Amino acid sequence: MTDMAVPAPETAVAPPPGRRHERPRVDRVGYLFVAFFSVPFFLFNILPVLFGVYVAFTRWSIVGSPRWVGTENFTRAFADPWVTVAFQNALIYGVLIVPGVTVLGLAFALFVSRGYPLSGLARTLFFAPNVVSATVIGLVWVWLLDTQFGLVNHYLGVVGVSAVPWLTSTDWSLVGVSIASVWWDLGLAFVLFLAALQDIPADLTEAALVDGAGRWQRLFFIVLPQLRPVISMVVTLQLISTFRIFSQVYVMTNGGPAGSSSSPIYYIYTMAIVRNLFGYASAIALLLFIVILVITLLQRFLLKERA
Amino acid sequence: MTTLMTRLRRYMDEHRFTLLDLPIWLVGMAVAFAWFAPFVWMVSTSLKYPEDVMTAQIEWLPSRITFDNYVKVFEYPVVRWAFNSLIQAGVATSLSVLFGAMAGYGLARMRFPGRDGLFALFLASLMIPTEVSIIPMLLGFIKMGWASSYQALILPSIGNVFAVYIFRQFFLGFPAEIEEAARVDGAGPFRLFFLIALPLARAPAIAAAVILFTLNWNNFLWPLLVTFDESMKTLPVGIAAFTPVVGTRTQLEGFSVAMAAVTILSVPSLALFFLLQRYFIQGISQGSIKS
Repeated sequence: MTDMAVPAPETAVAPPPGRRHERPRVDRVGYLFVAFFSVPFFLFNILPVLFGVYVAFTRWSIVGSPRWVGTENFTRAFADPWVTVAFQNALIYGVLIVPGVTVLGLAFALFVSRGYPLSGLARTLFFAPNVVSATVIGLVWVWLLDTQFGLVNHYLGVVGVSAVPWLTSTDWSLVGVSIASVWWDLGLAFVLFLAALQDIPADLTEAALVDGAGRWQRLFFIVLPQLRPVISMVVTLQLISTFRIFSQVYVMTNGGPAGSSSSPIYYIYTMAIVRNLFGYASAIALLLFIVILVITLLQRFLLKERA
Repeated sequence: MTTLMTRLRRYMDEHRFTLLDLPIWLVGMAVAFAWFAPFVWMVSTSLKYPEDVMTAQIEWLPSRITFDNYVKVFEYPVVRWAFNSLIQAGVATSLSVLFGAMAGYGLARMRFPGRDGLFALFLASLMIPTEVSIIPMLLGFIKMGWASSYQALILPSIGNVFAVYIFRQFFLGFPAEIEEAARVDGAGPFRLFFLIALPLARAPAIAAAVILFTLNWNNFLWPLLVTFDESMKTLPVGIAAFTPVVGTRTQLEGFSVAMAAVTILSVPSLALFFLLQRYFIQGISQGSIKS
């Protein structure tokens, strides 16, 4: 964290001031050092992407050989109402989860960074949900959000709110899954905010304190402007990971009821595994990739504009 | 009494803790405990008799407890699933940490044409969501006859860029004198790496190992896709079948067995986190800033 601001030296040993016959050292063995990583990296991270572009233009099921169909999968995807629903849902998940994670993550980080007694314990408690599996998140929240006996509806009932069918109605399923997702995803944003808060120069806040700035003034005029890059990063990372939402959906609602909580990856999964349409599934995956790429580039562009 | 008051006063002064902070502190700590409460509820439910679970009364501490739910969980092949998860996460993590350390060392301490381009490519690949490659990869594994196998569970998670990045960062700041001394003593690059550099890289190694192990242990989509045999499922995928929408057992018996199952599933990652959280939090903030 500390050396982030300082550009790291790119080479360990500076090249000797050039005389013509003194050629710079080349460590051929370096290729070997990198190769152990590079081979699986190219085989399992790069090759499948290229292969996937090809598969997207074919009709292919597990049995039989691929048939080139041109852009048929894409025209089909654009006409498929369920693709529209899946991407719309991704957007709604984004609207629900991204602000939740960002605002709560920032609030929790501000609290912990004050260094109150037991703040170490608070940090542990806030981060803990981030380390467990989607299966744990999903099942625990299906139980907590149970319409009849769930803890959430019980306490809502105490304050007079009637039972909400969180996961069993088409109106609420996206909200129900989002609540669990915020609980799960918050840890990363929280840790990033915490690190950024520690990097704010102490003399900046000291100076404000001397000038008599209250705590809200310090928050809005010193802390938040300093955090702008990290807020932008958290929003982007969370938006991307929300567009890739799958496991919670699979465990909590199976995309239902009536497809109301489906997501792009969930739909890709159904097309590939249930319907055995690998070409079509790859085409939708490619569309998702393009959406995510646009978000990433947009964030880079906006961040550069401001800087 | 007075000494207690003065000590309290001194403590508050030292921590700049004013009376205005008290409500903030109380609310903040209450939220922190509430944030963790679902885990307490999970364990509490897992220890209840099924007839005590689906009730209108909320019992945080069960009035009577049973371990029957855990016994019932073991009627499923959870031992086999746990074994599969351990092999998958253990092997994938060891290999990606080792290869990541080697690549990070090579990228930081050696000079060869294409080095910086290669590293830029590694970083750029982080923009590609894994889901794009997952369907074609599945197709590839099925065609090779490798579905429901350990190589299918392990191989795709070996090439982990995060490990390379964290080791490269570490070795960039590695003192050159140590290397020089070893070179003078006639150590080749491999001896230098394995006997001198790697043993000194304990901090990034632990950080990478705990983070990647958790990541691999929790991996869901890929093991779900690639395992068709019940006996080759990993723990998260196997236990996911306890959900009322996928399986039906929970609907019949209530949530006590399901909560016992997820308690078993969450213990390894929570324990690892509680023991080594310093590495988790530093490693994650370090690794994410750049990407």
